[in-house]
Amino acid sequence: MKKKVIGLIDGQSGNIGSINKAIKDIIKGRPYQLKIIKSHFNYTSFDKIILPGQGAYATLMSNLKKLKIIQPLKKYLKNNSSYLGICVGMQILSDWGYEDKTTRGLGIISGDIKKFRNKKLIIPHMGWNTINLNKDDTIIANSFDKKDFYFVHSYIFQNIKKSDVLAFTLYGKKFPSIVKKGNIYGVQFHPEKSHKHGLNLIKNYILKS
Amino acid sequence: MLKTRIIPCLDVIKNKVVKGINFKNIRVMGNAVEMAKYYSLSGADELCMLDINASYQNRKTFIKTVESIAKVINIPLTVGGGVSDLSDITDLLNAGADKVSINSAAVKNPKLIRQASLRHGSQCIVVAIDGKRHKNKMKVVIKGGREITKNELITWAKQVQSLGAGEILMTSMDTDGVQNGFDSNMLKKVTSSVGIPVIASGGVGSLEHFYLGYLTKSTGLLAASVFHSRKYKIKTVKKYLSSKGVPVRL
Repeated sequence: MKKKVIGLIDGQSGNIGSINKAIKDIIKGRPYQLKIIKSHFNYTSFDKIILPGQGAYATLMSNLKKLKIIQPLKKYLKNNSSYLGICVGMQILSDWGYEDKTTRGLGIISGDIKKFRNKKLIIPHMGWNTINLNKDDTIIANSFDKKDFYFVHSYIFQNIKKSDVLAFTLYGKKFPSIVKKGNIYGVQFHPEKSHKHGLNLIKNYILKS
Repeated sequence: MLKTRIIPCLDVIKNKVVKGINFKNIRVMGNAVEMAKYYSLSGADELCMLDINASYQNRKTFIKTVESIAKVINIPLTVGGGVSDLSDITDLLNAGADKVSINSAAVKNPKLIRQASLRHGSQCIVVAIDGKRHKNKMKVVIKGGREITKNELITWAKQVQSLGAGEILMTSMDTDGVQNGFDSNMLKKVTSSVGIPVIASGGVGSLEHFYLGYLTKSTGLLAASVFHSRKYKIKTVKKYLSSKGVPVRL
C-alpha cells in the first residue's frame, strides 16, 4: 500500500520539535510518512501539510518567501488540498496581517489579522481557554466542543465570513479559534502544547481527514 | 473563559530537582524528567524549570535535561536560570523550551529584552523580577535577594513591558520560601501597572494562598514546595479554586 505523505513546514518561526514528535508518535506503525519541508517543494507529492508558527505574521511570510515555499504552498491550497495551520500558520491564510507592518497573506480565507482591540485585556492572550462549536465538523471541531486548549497570541482573525468559522473562543469578545474552508483547517491555539486534547486533535486531523 | 494557570516550578541542578538555595542544605527532591512528566500528566497548565547552579560544568547536563523534558511533556515549558545573552536564549529554545526567562541579565542589560523579543517574538520572552522592600520602597533585587539594585520595582515592570517582554514572573523575596502566602500587596501593584500576564511566585503554603494569589489578578500561580512535598496534588488545588469560582482547567 502506498504511504500517505505528510509535509511539516519548518518556516523558522519557532521550534517544530513538539509537533514533529507528536506527528511521529501518531503515524508510528501506520501507512504514513513524514517529510520536513524547508524549501521549494512539489505540491502534488503531499497528501497533507501542517504549518506551525509562532511570532509575527510578517516574519513568517518573509521566511516562507526566502525559503521559496510561498508559490508551491499557494498552489497546494488553491487545489483545496488538506492543510492544518497552527497559530501564525493559521493566520497567514487570511488576506492581510497588521502585525508590525501591513503584510499580504496567502488569501485563502478572506479576512484580516488584527490586534485585540479591548484596552482592558491582558495581552498576549496566554493560557488555556475553551473552544465553542460554531458549525458541525466531524473531523476536528465536534470532538472538542467546550474543551480547553493552550493559546498564546495578541492578534485575531477579523472580518471573516461566519461560514468559515468552525469554533470560537471568548476573550473580551468572541474570536475565531478554529477556521475551515474546504479541506483547509486553521487553529489559533497550540494543539502540540495542549496535552491530550491537543494530541487527539492532531491525530484526528491526520487519520480522519 | 481564560483559565488561571497552575505552574509547578522545578529548581534544578544538572538533572535533579532540589530544594534549598543555601548550598549547604540542598536536598534532592527527585529526578527532573520524571517529576516533569508526572506534573504534565497530573494537570499542570505549564511547567517552569530553573537552573539554580548554572555553572559551566553543570550547564550541558541541564540543557540535556531540558531536551529530555520537552520530549515527554506536551504542555508549555518555561526555562530560566543562568541566561546571560542571546545565544543562551537560542540554546534553550532549540532544546525545546517554549519560553525563556531572563532575570539579572535583563537588569544589567535591558536591551537584551528588546533584542530577544525581536528575534524570537515577545510570546517566548519572560522577564523574571525579584522584588523586595527596602527603606519603604519596593526595589528590584538580584542574586537571590542579596543585591539591591537601583531599580524601583514598578518602574522596572513597566519598562520590561515596553521593551517587549511577553510575561512577568514576579517573585517577592519578602515572602519567598516562608510559605505564608504570596505577597498580595506587591503583586497587586505590579498587575495594576502592566498589561501583560503576571505569574505570581513566592510563598504558597496553603490552598487559600492560591485563591489570594488569584485575587491579585495574576494569571499564573507558581509553586514548588507544596507540590514537591506532595502536600497538595495539582487536582486538589484546582478543585479548591474551582469551588471558589476561579476558572481553572479541570
